[in-house]
Amino acid sequence: MTESQESHTGAAPLLEARGLTKDYGGTRALDSLDLAIAPGEVYCLLGPNGAGKTTTINLFLGFVAPSAGQALVAGLNVSTHDRESKRRLAYIPEQVMLYRNLSGIENLEYFAALGGQGSLRRERLVEILVEAGLDGETAGRRVSTYSKGMRQKVGIAIAIAKKADALLLDEPTSGLDPTASNEFSALVERLRNRGVAVLMATHDLFRAKDTGTRVGIMHYGRLVTELSTAEIGHADLERVYLEHVSDNGGPR
Amino acid sequence: MIHHIVRKEFADMIRDGRFRWSAILVGSLLLVSLAHGWVQARKASQEHAAAQATAREHWETQGEKNPHSAAHYGVYAFKPRLALSFVDEGVDPFTGTSVWLEAHRQNDFLLRPAQDATAAQRIGALTAAQVLQHLVPMLIILLTFGAFASERERGTLRQLLATGVGWRELALGKALGASGALALLLVPAAVAGAAALVVANPGPTASPLARGAVLAGAYLAYFVVFLALSLAVSARARSSRTALVFLLAVWVVNGLVAPRVAVDLSKRVYATPSAFEFARTVEREMADGVEDIAPPDRDESTKRLLAEYGVERVEDLPINAVGVYLQESEEFSNRIFDRNYGALWDAFRRQGILQEVLAAAAPSIAVRTLSMGLAGTDVEQHRHFAEAAETYRRDLMRQMNGDMTENSLTGDFSYAAGAELWESVPPLEYEAPPLGWVLGNRILSLAVLGAWLAGAVLLASAQVRRAEVA
Repeated sequence: MTESQESHTGAAPLLEARGLTKDYGGTRALDSLDLAIAPGEVYCLLGPNGAGKTTTINLFLGFVAPSAGQALVAGLNVSTHDRESKRRLAYIPEQVMLYRNLSGIENLEYFAALGGQGSLRRERLVEILVEAGLDGETAGRRVSTYSKGMRQKVGIAIAIAKKADALLLDEPTSGLDPTASNEFSALVERLRNRGVAVLMATHDLFRAKDTGTRVGIMHYGRLVTELSTAEIGHADLERVYLEHVSDNGGPR
Repeated sequence: MIHHIVRKEFADMIRDGRFRWSAILVGSLLLVSLAHGWVQARKASQEHAAAQATAREHWETQGEKNPHSAAHYGVYAFKPRLALSFVDEGVDPFTGTSVWLEAHRQNDFLLRPAQDATAAQRIGALTAAQVLQHLVPMLIILLTFGAFASERERGTLRQLLATGVGWRELALGKALGASGALALLLVPAAVAGAAALVVANPGPTASPLARGAVLAGAYLAYFVVFLALSLAVSARARSSRTALVFLLAVWVVNGLVAPRVAVDLSKRVYATPSAFEFARTVEREMADGVEDIAPPDRDESTKRLLAEYGVERVEDLPINAVGVYLQESEEFSNRIFDRNYGALWDAFRRQGILQEVLAAAAPSIAVRTLSMGLAGTDVEQHRHFAEAAETYRRDLMRQMNGDMTENSLTGDFSYAAGAELWESVPPLEYEAPPLGWVLGNRILSLAVLGAWLAGAVLLASAQVRRAEVA
């Protein structure tokens, strides 16, 4: 555990799930999730497809209403404080989608403005994009010419610009080459060091071990185990994961 | 926050090649149709003025002749073009713009361009009104069908909503952004139209600019209806393709199907005779009279005059009994005309009302009716001119028959009036109805368009509220 992590642990959680449950028709997608992520923590949700990872993120974003329980952002109930809770959040999906006719700078300016940072000057926007790993020349080009990695960097820049307390990542490195994935992890590390609470849904066990401070394994909508990444190795994590996601229980 | 959305939507649209090309196409068609309409209207006005002057000159220089012969010689009346007729030529190509005013007859209007046009010409004659009623809504659909549906498909909608922006702000920003892009082509067209109004002959109406302002407001409301409908559909559609197909179906029904159905239905409900049937009925009634309208009896007329003047012989009458009889014949035929034309106009009025009611199914019907009304080219204003021309004809015949009655004796076929009489007949000075009269006639269309506007905005608001992120 780093010094930064130590300094943030024990603080009030920025992301919290209390008995969070979601049913779609007769299918329970998420079952009584209890979770608390403190400032400076990176919590990685692992699990196969359909385990409930994206549903958890959608509930924190307020895109779907919980069937039971609460999702809280900085102590605000998402269901009753939709806008205020989103102001404290940043979200990076598996594929950051941007407006093809606008440049990276213009996309950042737009998303930042909607996120409450409408007064950022062009120089500052370029600085943020450079901080996110995009060079100045690329930042000025239309994003129709961008690779997926470049778009993910704009996504990170949007999160930086928003000065969010909490970051939700949904398979953010899926499809990225190893170099781009490492760059992405480094950026997440930097945000974590600033005290941002990160919830990352991923299939990538090794990335979870390297980037995360804690790992939760989900299966059929339930959080079946939680581990501290400081206490286990890569091989242990893989073993534990396979033990828990073997198909020994169906959806309820 | 909304201004950021507006600015982004505007920038995104004007950088989109599909929008640029379609906007250039529609904008060019609009400007060309305005220019073409203006040139045509100006040319028609000049031709009408020249023809009116020639007709007047012919009337005044027809030489010495019996006034009743002059009544048969007749005069032409030309329906003046109002200043806004270059935007919407309305029913003019079908009703005609000139009428021959002569004794005993209420003639049909002449100079009907549609009568002489080939099928290709009819299709090719694109007016500014047609561009505004059909092509601009199409452009609005193409601009906005993907407002939410495409963002949902691309995944940008999740990211947008994750910033904390609300659905309503997003919808309003998108509507204003699209409006800004549309303004790029509509504002120049409106400026060109206003300039054309200012430099054009204002025509016989005191309020061309007021009519123009109301016309612009009506079209603006019509465009907002399409904008709101398009956003509502885009917010709820499963895919942008579904949204586009649905909206194109709405466009087809609104612009092509509903107006045709409304016209056919109104004709079926309030049937009007064919031109041939109508003429035959008038001719038959003129010959035989009807129920309480009997043709004048020349002997009875003479007897009455003899009694009135206390003489026993026609030759002793101080007036021309034939002149009196001719005027009685005029008044008889006028009653026949009033009866038949009255019923015909009434049927047209009922058809028009039904069509205005049917605008509840398609806003294009309401805006088309308003557009023709404000341009002065609708059926009501055709009737207004036709009635003014007919009143003028009747006064003219009364004056000719009166002169013959007063200045000649019965059996004196040598009497001839001259230029003094012809010049004493004032030319037809037609005053078009004021804006209030037009709007009073079109109150139903105004109400229906207003209902469409309110309904579409409410629908968009409700659909956006119920929209889903994915």
